[in-house]
Amino acid sequence: GTVPPSAYLSDPFSPSSLSDSELSDDDNAEIEPIDEQEIYDLISPISDPEHPLTLGSLSVVNLPDIFLTPTFPERGSSSPLTTLTVLITPTITHCSLATVIGLGVRVRLEQALPPRFRVDVRIKEGTHSTADQVNRQLGDKERVAAALENGTLMGVLRKMLEGCESRAV
Amino acid sequence: MPSASSLPQISHLATLEPSSPSRAWLTAPHPTLPLLATCSSDKTVRIYSLTTFTLLSTITGGHKRSIRTCAWKPNLKGESVLATGSFDASVGIWRHYDNDMNPKPKDVLSGLDFDARDKAIADGGMGENGNADEDEDEEWRFAIVLDGHESEVKSVAWSAGGNLLATCSRDKSVWVWEEVGEDDYETVAVMQEHEGDVKCVAWHPGEELLASASYDDDVRLWREDVDDWGCCGVLRGHGSTVWCVGWEGEVPRVFGDVEVGREDMRGKWVERREGSGSRLMSCSDDLSIRVWRRRPKERVQQSRLSIIRSGSSEENWVEEVQLPKVHSRPIYAVAWSKSGRVVSTGGDGIVAVYEERWRKAGGDAESKDTKALEDGVDRSK
Repeated sequence: GTVPPSAYLSDPFSPSSLSDSELSDDDNAEIEPIDEQEIYDLISPISDPEHPLTLGSLSVVNLPDIFLTPTFPERGSSSPLTTLTVLITPTITHCSLATVIGLGVRVRLEQALPPRFRVDVRIKEGTHSTADQVNRQLGDKERVAAALENGTLMGVLRKMLEGCESRAV
Repeated sequence: MPSASSLPQISHLATLEPSSPSRAWLTAPHPTLPLLATCSSDKTVRIYSLTTFTLLSTITGGHKRSIRTCAWKPNLKGESVLATGSFDASVGIWRHYDNDMNPKPKDVLSGLDFDARDKAIADGGMGENGNADEDEDEEWRFAIVLDGHESEVKSVAWSAGGNLLATCSRDKSVWVWEEVGEDDYETVAVMQEHEGDVKCVAWHPGEELLASASYDDDVRLWREDVDDWGCCGVLRGHGSTVWCVGWEGEVPRVFGDVEVGREDMRGKWVERREGSGSRLMSCSDDLSIRVWRRRPKERVQQSRLSIIRSGSSEENWVEEVQLPKVHSRPIYAVAWSKSGRVVSTGGDGIVAVYEERWRKAGGDAESKDTKALEDGVDRSK
């Protein structure tokens, strides 16, 4: 499986783009709970941009660092929005590719999950020298969207996501 | 405060279709005509009718990457001009003769004629020409491209008079352009004091005073001092990216009635408003919306011999109030309506409307309550 066309990637939340994608079957489906293990299974096969190893095998992504919480806890089941937080642990504290890895995780999740998920990918505290800077870039919708229009970067991401099953949750 | 049951309700009016197949970054209502422009990551701008909620035309072919922003030039008659800003680092100016966009008197008389009027708009004044789809697009003419920014353009804004255009970019700069002739724009200022992406620019409704919001957590104010444009104020307080700034209209309004016996509040409020002028609102990744107010300058007593100009252009702005917390994800946009209400939206898909009310007994005469009225609408980005 490869990454779907960039038109979709640049707008992971648009219902109309979803209907054009492999997610179309899920769009009308009942909301099924998705647990942390399933999230882990989605992102652990992503390859490290430098090594032929997966983020799971390098412990860059770890099951205990995946958190699913209702976006509006006070509304209960009336709001389906779910906030997904994934903390990534770079292999070295000055890893220059931390942003690219984070972007790969974010893209993979937004590509695979229904639009009711709000995805936050951040560096686990104390594991990177410029974590704040990386976190802000990964949380900035405009920077992420612009990055996904960058052909060179998309090439790197496509390669990282090659090992992931294209099938959605 | 009103009880929840007395709050006005917001209901869905229409969905604008056909919509862009990918992210619609921004919508901009025309200043006078019932038109709405939406710009999209599919490199197009779509123009919809706000009377029939149908697509009138699609502007294509100008930008190489996502169109992030657009703005209608104000104060025009007989023609509409739209500025677009793109991730391709360029700004486009587009023109369209209104022709029948301004309804003839007979069209105005009856709401039933709105259809005919929109048809006329769609045809670009070509009358019965059945080939509307092709003609309408041709009616939007690409006028000029403004090059200068080094990376993604995030926001464009026309001054109230329409003669100045401000643009900002991830390259940390704010540019001011002046229209010096037909399709001829000159760069009048390039301001680079921000230390991060500049996310938004907005002009004061009455003065040539520009506000900008940035990734560096600051809001800056800019104006021309003698011959040079420069920063005349820094509004600090936000704890993360400031996504958007919006100005209060020139006719302010506080909702509800002043309590009997507290009528002096109104006079004090009006006096203070006259001293400070339109207030500025900013929203941020830090989940707060802040209202800023200008502290009027003390009249400087000047010696007749003094050749020093009366004070610098420096503005003194203070944070007046923070709006009630409603959002649980970054707040991306905020706007002040002409009637005095405020609307905000963000990554949580909530659209919240606020109004400013007179404080009840026990409150400070100069303070106002704000109250979130209504929310809903999931999924909007």
